[in-house]
Amino acid sequence: MTIRDNARTAQAGTLESMDCLVTVTESTGERQIEISGAAVSRFAGAMTKKVNQVLDELEGKTEAKSVVVSVQDNGALDIVLGARVEAAYLRLVGGGAS
Amino acid sequence: MRRTMLYLPGNNPNMLTRGYLFGADGLVLDLEDSVSVNEKDSARILVREILKRGAFGECEVTVRINGLDTAFWRDDVAAIVPHGVHGVRVPKVESVGTIKALDEELSSVESAASLPAGVTKIFCLLETALGVWRAYDIASASPRVTAIIPGGEDLTADLRTNRSASGVELEWTRRMLIVAARAAGVDALDTVYPRITDDEGLRREAEFIKQLGYDGKSVIHPNQIPIVHEVFTPSEAEIEKARKIVSAAKDATRRGLGAISVDGRMVDLPVVRRAEFTLARAGITDNEQRGQEK
Repeated sequence: MTIRDNARTAQAGTLESMDCLVTVTESTGERQIEISGAAVSRFAGAMTKKVNQVLDELEGKTEAKSVVVSVQDNGALDIVLGARVEAAYLRLVGGGAS
Repeated sequence: MRRTMLYLPGNNPNMLTRGYLFGADGLVLDLEDSVSVNEKDSARILVREILKRGAFGECEVTVRINGLDTAFWRDDVAAIVPHGVHGVRVPKVESVGTIKALDEELSSVESAASLPAGVTKIFCLLETALGVWRAYDIASASPRVTAIIPGGEDLTADLRTNRSASGVELEWTRRMLIVAARAAGVDALDTVYPRITDDEGLRREAEFIKQLGYDGKSVIHPNQIPIVHEVFTPSEAEIEKARKIVSAAKDATRRGLGAISVDGRMVDLPVVRRAEFTLARAGITDNEQRGQEK
C-alpha cells in the first residue's frame, strides 16, 4: 500500500452531468490513476492519458508529489477532466488539502 | 449586437460547454456570484480551459471577474485574458480609480501574452448608488470601457429597497444610465430579470428599456433569450421603412440634395441615423442594403 493512513488528500469537481469528481491523495510510491464511471470501458485509456499529461505539466511547475488520483466520471469532456485534475492537485500542493 | 448576454455559472461544465447553443448574442462566464468562495480556484481553471477550447459560435464572450475589492481579481485576469476573451465584466464599480487599476492590469497581461494593447474591453456593473451617480465618469475612464450596466439585487439593496414586479425602484437609474452611456459613447446594457417563469413581466421590462434606448439585456435563463430578441429585433415593416429612408438619403447625397421626403414625410439626419440603427439591429449590413438598392 502506498497511501499512508494520514495521507493528505484534495478534491475538485462534482458528480453533476458532464463533470467529474477528482480526488488526489499524496502517496509514497508510483503514480496511480483510478477511473470509474459509466463510460470507463470506452474512454479509460484516453482519460488516463489526459490525467498523466496534466500531472506531468504540473509537476514541472510545482513541487512534484507522488499521488494517487481517483476520477469519478459523469461524462466530463477531456478539458473538464484536465481542469479538475489541475485544481485538485494544486489544492494538494498549495495547502488546500485536508 | 448585444441584445442578450447570457450568464453561465463558472463552475458548471454543462452550462459552460453548451451555453453558446442557446443563441444569445453574448455569454458571460461568471466567476463572481455564482461561484462559492471555496470554488474560486477550481472555477477559474475550468473557465480558462473552456476559453482555450474556444467553441462559442458567434457569441461575444466575456467573463465576470471578481470585484477589485477581493483577493481574486488579479488571478482571474491573469487566467482568462490570454485566451481570447472579448471583455471582462467587472462588478461593483464605484470609481474612476477602479477602472484605471483594471486597465493597467489588463495592459500588463495583454503585453505578456503578446496581445494587441487594449483588445480586452471592460463592461462596468454599477451596483451601488455611488457607482450609478458616477456613471459618466466611469464610462469615460478608459477607451476599453464598452458598456455600463445597472445592478439589480445589489443596487436595490444599496438603495434600501427591493425588486418589485414593476421595477419602479430601478426606473430612475435606468434613465440616468442611458444618458451617461450615450454621452460617453458606450453601450447601455440592462440588468437581469430575475423572475425566470414570468415571460410577460420580462417582455414588459425589455420593451421599457428598449424604448429608453438600451442596447440589450443580461439574461439568466435560456428561455429569456427569444423574448428579449423578439423585443429588440425590428419588425418587417420597420425594416422596410428604414430601408426606404436610408436608400432615399443616399440618393439625395449623390444628387446633392438637402432635405428629402419619404412617403410624404420630411426626413432629416436624425431620422436617417435612426433608420441606419434599425438596419444594424436587424443584422442588415451595408452590402446587403446596397444589394437591395440595385
